[in-house]
Amino acid sequence: MKHVLIPTPDVNSEHGVVTAWFVENGQWVEAGTDLVEVETSKAVLEVSAPDSGYILQLGALKDEVSLTAPIALLFDDIDSLKAHQASLLAAPKPESPVRASVKAIKRAEELGVDLSSFDGSRLITVKDVEAAAFVEPDYKDMPSPLTAPEGVQRILIIGAGRGATQVIDIFADRPEQTAVAIVDEQRGKWGELIDDVPVVGGPDRLTELYEHGRFDAVVVAISTSVAARRKFRLMCEQAGIPLANAIDRTAKIATNVEMGEGNVICAFCHIGTATQIGNNNFFSAYNSFDHHNVVANDSSTGPGCMTSSRVKLGDQVRLGTGIHIEPGVELGDRVQVASGATIVRSVPADHVVKTKIVTTVVVPGR
Amino acid sequence: MIFAKELNAALHECLETDERVVLIGEDIVDPYGGAFKVTRGLSTDFPERVRTTPISEGAIAGVSAGLALAGMRPIAEVMFGDFITLCYDQIVNHITKYEAMYNGKATCPVIFRVPSGGHRGYGPTHSQSLEKHFLGVPHLRVLAASLYHDPRAVLRDLLGQTTPALFVEHKLLYPQNFGRPGGLLATDDGTTVCLSAVPREDCTATVLAYGYQAMLAAQVVEQLAIEEEIFVELLVPLELSPLDYGPIERSVAVTKSLVTVEEGTAGWSWGTEIAAVLSARMFGRLRRPVGVVASVPTVIPSSKSKESRMLVGTPQIDVAIREAAK
Repeated sequence: MKHVLIPTPDVNSEHGVVTAWFVENGQWVEAGTDLVEVETSKAVLEVSAPDSGYILQLGALKDEVSLTAPIALLFDDIDSLKAHQASLLAAPKPESPVRASVKAIKRAEELGVDLSSFDGSRLITVKDVEAAAFVEPDYKDMPSPLTAPEGVQRILIIGAGRGATQVIDIFADRPEQTAVAIVDEQRGKWGELIDDVPVVGGPDRLTELYEHGRFDAVVVAISTSVAARRKFRLMCEQAGIPLANAIDRTAKIATNVEMGEGNVICAFCHIGTATQIGNNNFFSAYNSFDHHNVVANDSSTGPGCMTSSRVKLGDQVRLGTGIHIEPGVELGDRVQVASGATIVRSVPADHVVKTKIVTTVVVPGR
Repeated sequence: MIFAKELNAALHECLETDERVVLIGEDIVDPYGGAFKVTRGLSTDFPERVRTTPISEGAIAGVSAGLALAGMRPIAEVMFGDFITLCYDQIVNHITKYEAMYNGKATCPVIFRVPSGGHRGYGPTHSQSLEKHFLGVPHLRVLAASLYHDPRAVLRDLLGQTTPALFVEHKLLYPQNFGRPGGLLATDDGTTVCLSAVPREDCTATVLAYGYQAMLAAQVVEQLAIEEEIFVELLVPLELSPLDYGPIERSVAVTKSLVTVEEGTAGWSWGTEIAAVLSARMFGRLRRPVGVVASVPTVIPSSKSKESRMLVGTPQIDVAIREAAK
């Protein structure tokens, strides 16, 4: 089978119109025979046979045809022409019954949802898949929050990961606060005990438990996602549930520090004098925010971050491990900084600070 | 059916149903049938009322104005929209002024069909989108053809009233299949077509685009939805000036973010005017400043690769939509 192409140097047109066929469909043509005339916006083009063979026309008279696709095919024998013609007619049109986003297909696999059961009239999204998989949680068999003696602040922790154990550890040294329950979005963790504190269900239980007087305040124990910190802070704000600070007894909070609620401050942290800390930040161990710093909300740091004076951190800033920040530097909202960075000038919002990691070379001892 | 044929059928309908309709323009008669074949066959069916002219856009505008004042309904084709500048004085100082100057006793309802736009390597003076110079001219309607607006309805509307109009047709729309994209939900808010992969409530930005750029934007909108679940709503208005802000306000009230797209050059443009108006009307409800996508303000190169870096195309739209959806 050989293709007959329309020879066109015309950049004006992508299509032409068939104005005449000089040969019959299925007829034997010799090489060089004039086959067809195609009119473009600028010229009428004549197409001759590049070879001899039986011809199969791919456009009828007055049809609009592409100038880049073959206008006809040539076959060595009539049988292969007929076979090809039959295959063109029989070619099935593959049509997907449903359309889903890439993320929705992945989520459907995770949740075991059958996409073919969906309405195909619009794009299926993760939200649709999750809605289909959602089963009203049944908290009947869930453990109840712990109780505490009068005068002790009962804390509900959001997030049943390792951050929860850090927060529970802070309370081990603080008799005036105690964790009574944990909630987490992952159903697999429900019913578990983390350092003897029960995971009592999902975050949707917050309002019900608070209204029934089962806890006094919330601490968000998630350090790995500043977006999740913010989400849960806003959720509590909307529901009118207070956040509490969880501050390790070994932390040094200097004079004239102003601090909001919901901050987790781990062991050996130093908050210098006249520093302002907003709400819902998570500082890992050995952080030092020196004097006259300002930290906004929902940020999270790794261990060993040191700032000099007058440093400002925006909302949802994420610091890695062992970061040093020069005086007066400002990090905008949602800035992320890789471990080991020394930051000497300000970083605008929504930017990432990357570092080139220099490792020491390790060789066998003599 | 391809858009050029839809337009051809629409013009045929106008000639058939309204004896006042006259088509004039360069090389529009058979057998050539116009540079883009939009008028093919019309002079054969209506030889008296489909007339070819000398190569003078000034004459086309003048003859059209005279015909319109005398009660005819001329539809003039300006073969390459770049040369609409040669009609500028007659449009701004004469055609659009008569009705108000003579308190409605005279009308001059000329319709200019203006094939425009680039991406074909036609160079500096056959590729431009000059409509921005006509936006805001009092008593002039500027409309843009799209794959989502039936040209029959557009021309019926224009023939049913007397305000003169510029109907901008991007050349690259002619060979496209007419119709709304199958992968997106479509609703109509007046003559503005609203397209999105998911309902408006789940969209995080509104994209405003017309003509060929609307077709490109629709492709980007669908791709971003499928591949990354970035959901935005595309609004495709028919009429650029005067502009009906209602559909835009209703969409932006939900999405809180707006980006406009046009192929014309940046600055003093459709998008900047909309940004100014929307920012004033919806101040405090917008999540971020209005984004404006337009082409680099320079001469359009003949080299296709250079042209693609200068004119707005899919890559520029993609970047802008991602930013607006944040």
